[in-house]
Amino acid sequence: MKKLLELNNVKYFYQTKESEIEALSDVNFSLEERAFTSLVGPSGCGKTTILSLIAGLLVPSSGEILLDGQKIQKHDARIGYMFQRDHLFEWRTIWQNIILGLELQKKHKDEKKLEFAEELLKKYDLYAFKSKKPRQLSGGMRQRVALIRTLVLEPALLLLDEPFSALDFQTRLKVCDDVHEIIKREQKTALLVTHDISEAISMSDKVVILTKRPAKVKKEVLLNLSGATPLGRREDKEFGNYFELIWRELL
Amino acid sequence: MKKVNNNFSSARRNFLRRQRKDKFFVGFWQIATLVIFLGLWELLAGVGAIDPFFFSCPSRIAVTIVDLAGSGNLFIHIWTSLYETLIGFLIATALGFIIAVLLWWSERLRKILEPYLIILNSLPKIALGPMIIFWVGSGSGATIVMCVLICVIITTISMLNAFIACDSDKILLMKSMHANKFQILFKLIIPNALPEFVSVLKINVGMSWVGTIMGEYLSSKAGLGYLINYGSQILKLDIVMASIVLLCVLAGGMYFLVAPLEKRYKKNG
Ligand SMILES: Nc1ncnc2c1ncn2[C@@H]1O[C@H](COP(=O)(O)OP(=O)(O)O)[C@@H](O)[C@H]1O
Ligand SMILES: [Mg+2]
Repeated sequence: MKKLLELNNVKYFYQTKESEIEALSDVNFSLEERAFTSLVGPSGCGKTTILSLIAGLLVPSSGEILLDGQKIQKHDARIGYMFQRDHLFEWRTIWQNIILGLELQKKHKDEKKLEFAEELLKKYDLYAFKSKKPRQLSGGMRQRVALIRTLVLEPALLLLDEPFSALDFQTRLKVCDDVHEIIKREQKTALLVTHDISEAISMSDKVVILTKRPAKVKKEVLLNLSGATPLGRREDKEFGNYFELIWRELL
Repeated sequence: MKKVNNNFSSARRNFLRRQRKDKFFVGFWQIATLVIFLGLWELLAGVGAIDPFFFSCPSRIAVTIVDLAGSGNLFIHIWTSLYETLIGFLIATALGFIIAVLLWWSERLRKILEPYLIILNSLPKIALGPMIIFWVGSGSGATIVMCVLICVIITTISMLNAFIACDSDKILLMKSMHANKFQILFKLIIPNALPEFVSVLKINVGMSWVGTIMGEYLSSKAGLGYLINYGSQILKLDIVMASIVLLCVLAGGMYFLVAPLEKRYKKNG
């Protein structure tokens, strides 16, 4: 399959008053187009840093990040970012939250984009809540709104930074399924950061395991599980073996 | 919850009845407190337990207000104070807001000015009174300046803190959607600080009246502060008390004009 994103020898140092913090020592991995990849590693190892670098919010200290073979630029419309918390703006309605990105990019008068936004809302059962305020929605629904807010901008690559960790377990399984379905249906390439190994296995085609800070790639695990949904994949006999394998690497 | 449901359960009926009763009880005692206070005051003054010359009494206050109104000057005093307060309030709030935006915009400027803000905030503004009169002369101008000085620093500090308190991940989210700094300011920072702004408005209502009365004590030819000063100098404490009552009504009225905003915007926070 074609590689959509490549990280080559990426290093990153944070500069603080006290010291220089080496967050990434030498990160190399790539994402296949339309594949779902998870990034796991000890807390504080540099996962969020990697996403920020890919999103162009930070610039690598050395090394390069290639998107479709070209060096990544700031403000690349092909990349969408979803955060741990939904960060919906409480003063805006669901609809206004969803078109926030369009507004920022001055595309909110583009009929086609607005139609697409409406379509997404309808497709993912949020249309009835269009003019409600975020606080009237459940945690799971809010997270779906946050995803749609990202999808409206039609990114090819979605970066997801622990987007389910704030949800309770029941909701989390459901939202994982929803998000997975949405991403597959919309044919996106996704990079998910998670600290939950079973979540990583159930969602992904590949899991990239990082060492502790400063991060390097420790191992890549290609997954081959049957089952159409994350919940279904959890039923696969191999699930436990993968879990064991990844868990050992993280010890 | 807009639908009206007529088939209330009995528990619900009881709950609603208790709520109504509670509301009535509180309302009743709010009015009763005032009536009892005024009645007791009048009574004690009437039987000579307190000296009405020093403490006045409700009937004398009422008569004084009617007299002042009859002479035609009362409305000039009320209008003068009201106008000074409103202008001071508006200028201070707008100015403080704008300064806070500038300080949010430039972290450097903020760091440079921080100690000065702290000093200015702790300085009792009344100390500047004589200087203000030298600079702008006595009268409404000086009062408005006093009003602005009292409100502007605290407005700046409160709004700046609200701006800075905005979740950095929300800013990152805006940046990830390619927002520029203007957009971050107008679409995130300012709306996010709206509840704080409403609080500042409420505080400023009280503070601007402090400014106005202080300004008028300092030097003025009209206004409720002037009237209080005048009344005490000619030993007519009824005039002082009457002015204070009017002040209560005006400041309270202004507060209740601002208060509904809070209900509307606080929920968003
Ligand atoms: N803005 C920053 N300044 C200095 N150090 C930082 C900053 N952000 C993160 N770090 C440090 O870099 C390391 C990696 O952070 P992060 O990428 O957020 O980890 P993760 O997402 O894997 O938990 C951590 O040790 C953290 O303390
Ligand atoms: Mg993180």
